[in-house]
Amino acid sequence: MALDAGLSPTPDGQQVPDALGADYEVGLESLSQWQLAWKKFKKHRLALIGLGILTVLALVAVIGPILIPFSFDRVPKVDVPVAAGRPPSLSHPFGETGGLQRDVFQLVVNGARWSLLIGFSSMFIGVIIGTIVGSIAGYLGGFLDNILMRIVDVMLSLPLLFVILVAARFFAGARDNVWTIVIIFGVFGWMGVARLVRSLFLSIREREFVEAAKAVGVRDRRIIFKHILPNALSPIVVSASLIVAGNIITEAFVSYLGYGVNPITPTWGNILSSALTFIPQGNWWWPLFPGLAIIITVLAVNFIGDGLRDAFDPRSRA
Amino acid sequence: MTKYAIRRIAQAVPVLFGISIAVYLVLLLAPGGPTQKFAQNPRITPAMRAQFMHAWGLDQPWPIQYCRWVGICNPDTNPTVIADTPILNHIPNPESFLGPTGWPNFLPSGISGASNGVFHGDFGYSIDSGEPVMARIARGALPTFILASFALVIWLIVAVLIGVTAAVKRYSWFDQAATIFAYVGFAMPTFWLGIMLIYIFGVPGILPVSGMTDTRSTPGAFGSDPYWVYFGQHPIAAITDVLRHLVLPVTTLVVVNIAGDSRFVRASMLEALSQDYVRTAKAKGLSNRSVTFKHALRNAMLPVLTNIGLEIPFLFSGALVTETIFSWPGIGHLTIEATGKFDYPILMGIFLITAVLVVMGNLIADLAYAFVDPRIKY
Repeated sequence: MALDAGLSPTPDGQQVPDALGADYEVGLESLSQWQLAWKKFKKHRLALIGLGILTVLALVAVIGPILIPFSFDRVPKVDVPVAAGRPPSLSHPFGETGGLQRDVFQLVVNGARWSLLIGFSSMFIGVIIGTIVGSIAGYLGGFLDNILMRIVDVMLSLPLLFVILVAARFFAGARDNVWTIVIIFGVFGWMGVARLVRSLFLSIREREFVEAAKAVGVRDRRIIFKHILPNALSPIVVSASLIVAGNIITEAFVSYLGYGVNPITPTWGNILSSALTFIPQGNWWWPLFPGLAIIITVLAVNFIGDGLRDAFDPRSRA
Repeated sequence: MTKYAIRRIAQAVPVLFGISIAVYLVLLLAPGGPTQKFAQNPRITPAMRAQFMHAWGLDQPWPIQYCRWVGICNPDTNPTVIADTPILNHIPNPESFLGPTGWPNFLPSGISGASNGVFHGDFGYSIDSGEPVMARIARGALPTFILASFALVIWLIVAVLIGVTAAVKRYSWFDQAATIFAYVGFAMPTFWLGIMLIYIFGVPGILPVSGMTDTRSTPGAFGSDPYWVYFGQHPIAAITDVLRHLVLPVTTLVVVNIAGDSRFVRASMLEALSQDYVRTAKAKGLSNRSVTFKHALRNAMLPVLTNIGLEIPFLFSGALVTETIFSWPGIGHLTIEATGKFDYPILMGIFLITAVLVVMGNLIADLAYAFVDPRIKY
């Protein structure tokens, strides 16, 4: 925890004294909680790989659509039309779709932008709502806590995938509905975080430094945001990574059913969805690549989550 | 223990009420609605629409509608509002809380004489087909039950085998492979796996990919009267047919679910293997097999079974993805269909039943845990 890290300097691996009485310098360098975590994170090989993959994907998502832009209204010109599309070749490494014969590589690259955007921004909404609800419930306790946690119970008892589907069907009818979908995912994705934050607050608010802050007369809002929240941040970050992964998969499924993002926006789910009618033609390359993109992204995010968990765990050593 | 049980049950009641209100309000606020069906029909005059709304009680304020839907209020009494003050004018007439026999309406039909509302098992009628909601849901429940039970049994066995082997031979190549498999299985979207299975087995015609029965050889859909007649005449052919249709959906469910559960078994097993009683058993000279399966596995299965107990309610609805891909005519399929047609009563029924199952599942899991594990005290 941040407080401990500030008080007790962490010696480097090699410089730990092996015998009592040996002269050594105390407190070579005091690392902050985040520096310490990064040091441990770097030792986690899979997490580093995940971070590398996610960085590449983020670059693709930012730069790719500029290099090979996709427009739903612009239909590619084809010399020899083949209704079923073409399997991967040198000019089209991921093949061509059936029907309009779009380049699957172009679709997947453009899909990265939207799928990552939806996954991350809906996670932010969910985490912010969950953190606010959880900190209020955990810090204030009592009647309000009871009400808020019963609301969480109610929402967690509903089959959320169904509810999201219905909400998307009802509220996201517009042509350009990416942000509506993001908000729906956020609004139905905060309960886990709220429970987590509440339990963290329950334990941290009993610690001495909070008591000290209260004794000095610090206001509640400042205690919540300046004293308790920074100490609760690491588990929140870990669960946020899992939410991103879940949201990317759920978005793909909802869009695949045709109730999610409008087909004019090429998310990975939409690409899969449009491939469906061509299954009897056997063009496997069309759904294969967006699916692999989803798997790789979710794997990378999960690896990072694992790495973060180990990095923030005070019991694991750098 | 009894005190704990009573407290938990008392806690579940407001949650269930909250769920029913949430379900009702969300679907009440959503667009579409019962009158949407003839909004575009020029032959329905506004007067006819008003009459329809009145006949079904849709012109009443929502608390009264909710009260009748749940079954606390009696729809046959005059639902005039009690007062004109803004706060009170949504409270139903006191008389409407009483059933035909004069007892409170929400009591079982035998006492109150009432038959309306969720309390009496009446979820209303489907807007789309006019069929009672319970009958429609019951029609989808059998296919879902067949699919879920096959999948559950296979995935439980496979997950336990993988998890136990991985735990016993920790860090072996098998353990590593199981870890990789679990990671990939976690990351794989269910529907994508389904699509790929369709390409591999469906497109070449090895296995059927859609529905529950072969429409060419079977008269009527699964569960219809002609189907049962056919089933009676050719039971073996009918069962083989359903089994063939089961292969791909069950495979999909199994692959996706063993990823998580095999990890869970492994973790639970590792913990059990590090316990003192395992060391004691080994010190006594018992064989490895006996220690692993009799001492460690039995204890390790406890959290695993609880976890699976919590998953079962979601199986009722949770095979949604798989059912959709393979057009399996179960509850998940029904949900998608009802969502597409704005069929609220069906959706409300499915949501509410699932939620009740989840709450009860949690309750039973907690109580069973306390009952089975004597170390837990409340």
